Amino acid sequence: MNNIANILAGFMSPMDIPTSPAAMLWMFPLILSIVIVYKATKMRVIFPKKFVKEVVVLFLTISLFLILAGIGLNLLVAFITS
Amino acid sequence: MAKRTDMDHGLLLLIVAILAWIVPGAGHFFIKEKKRAAIIFVAITATFAIGLFIGSIAVVDPAGARPWYIGQIITSPGVALIPQLAQQAAQIGPNGELIPLVSYGRPHDVGQIYTAIAGAMNLLAIISAIYMAHSGRGEMIGSEEDE
Repeated sequence: MNNIANILAGFMSPMDIPTSPAAMLWMFPLILSIVIVYKATKMRVIFPKKFVKEVVVLFLTISLFLILAGIGLNLLVAFITS
Repeated sequence: MAKRTDMDHGLLLLIVAILAWIVPGAGHFFIKEKKRAAIIFVAITATFAIGLFIGSIAVVDPAGARPWYIGQIITSPGVALIPQLAQQAAQIGPNGELIPLVSYGRPHDVGQIYTAIAGAMNLLAIISAIYMAHSGRGEMIGSEEDE
């Protein structure tokens, strides 16, 4: 009962997310959710194994390109400000 | 099977769209796309709930953040009840003044992004459900699923 009350109380007060590069990690659950919904609407017939495989592949692809974009932009900023 | 009239067909699409807006995934469920409906419901509801948990229910703010609110309300018309909950959660300060429930900083941003993206995903699901109902795919695949 206490656990449920604690969870409900969590919706009344914001979490503590510091303004640091680690906050960017919050994009990954969102990417996963977007990929799941996208694939659920896109696939003609949902076969569980194929669905999971396609979700994992797309999630990893998007994550990889976002990480590469982040590294590239950081290098660009470091180059300009150095 | 009797052929549908244009009016019946239009009404079906309208019902599917309204159901898909009221409950994420309900439009697909109505056209017998049960697996798809379950996936969409869980993913969109979880994304919205995580957004509220991160930034608190104060991230749904129709007065202070109207563009975000438009995105959030696409998740479901039930989202309109959240600002009322936030008002009820306001506390009375030491001098008797009303201290509203507020959210700010990074948690507010992340919460707003999650909840608004949940709305954008539901818009995609609504369009998908309408398209499947229009093309009759739901009925075909749905009957295959039932077998």
